[in-house]
Amino acid sequence: MKLQDKVAVVTGGTRGIGRAMVEALAREGAQVLFTYAHNDLLAGQIESELREQGLKAKGFKIDVRDFEKINQWKEEILIEFGGVDILINNAGIAKDKALMMMSREDWDEVIDTNLNGLFNFTRAFIVHFLKKKEGNIINISSVSGLIGLPRQVNYSASKGGMISFSKALAKEVAPYNIRVNVICPGFIDTDMTRKLREEYVRQMMPLIPLGRFGTVEEVARTALFLADETVSHYITGQVIRVDGGLTM
Amino acid sequence: MPAEKTLDTLRQELRKIVAEIGEISEEEIKDDANFIDDLGFDSMKALEVAAAIEKKYKIRISEEEIPKINSLVNVFKLLEKSLKN
Repeated sequence: MKLQDKVAVVTGGTRGIGRAMVEALAREGAQVLFTYAHNDLLAGQIESELREQGLKAKGFKIDVRDFEKINQWKEEILIEFGGVDILINNAGIAKDKALMMMSREDWDEVIDTNLNGLFNFTRAFIVHFLKKKEGNIINISSVSGLIGLPRQVNYSASKGGMISFSKALAKEVAPYNIRVNVICPGFIDTDMTRKLREEYVRQMMPLIPLGRFGTVEEVARTALFLADETVSHYITGQVIRVDGGLTM
Repeated sequence: MPAEKTLDTLRQELRKIVAEIGEISEEEIKDDANFIDDLGFDSMKALEVAAAIEKKYKIRISEEEIPKINSLVNVFKLLEKSLKN
């Protein structure tokens, strides 16, 4: 097991890519602490499914926009679990529409969750990582943040912001043995992409050289690669595209 | 007085920690010298002092108290307070 004795925090861990990462990390022996926004039932299901397999995962209902609550929670888990080794900032939402139809609320909600949520969690744990001179931060952005996608100015802006944030932080904390990397998934088969209009999917498909949507497991395996310091210890500040070649 | 001797030892130990992290000689560190203005520390170095103290004395310094790590006198006060608790 690659992550035995490691403690990993995954935000947005009950669905899609987040859930796949929770399961993948737990299978490699990590104690996974995942957050979720709404669904207590689903979080409980994930916990018990993994427990039945002898794996360790625990869900916490936390709004990634709530800076104070996150800091309070961080204090609690640092005491309970003795520290955190890996932070995966994954929680994200999309509210796609043309800019001319986009309300101020649509903009704020996406920026607050995707970008401010990244700040909130990273700010909460960075002092812990700096003090122990060790830490591994993996941020889940999107190809939308790299190339921009129509009807996603809010999402693209938030995801592009995540990339710049990560590069700046990677340089800032590298002397303290803290790595910061970004994964940019392309079109992955999740609830989020299932909402895309059929016509749009038909247009996008020929642009994906591998000719298909990716799976959440494929993204999770990339996260595992970054989480495992025995294979990725010399990698920081990188943006890894898991997109079937879409943005090459 | 044994208690005073202990405090004196603590002061010496702290000076040693700060000197090591700041890569300066112990003699250079006056009790009230400001770490940033006088000794050229940055905020990361202050954090390193906090981490070293936490490790050595098995105490926990809260994030709010880290800005107070700005002189030997203040670090000593902080340590004294934490050890009392």
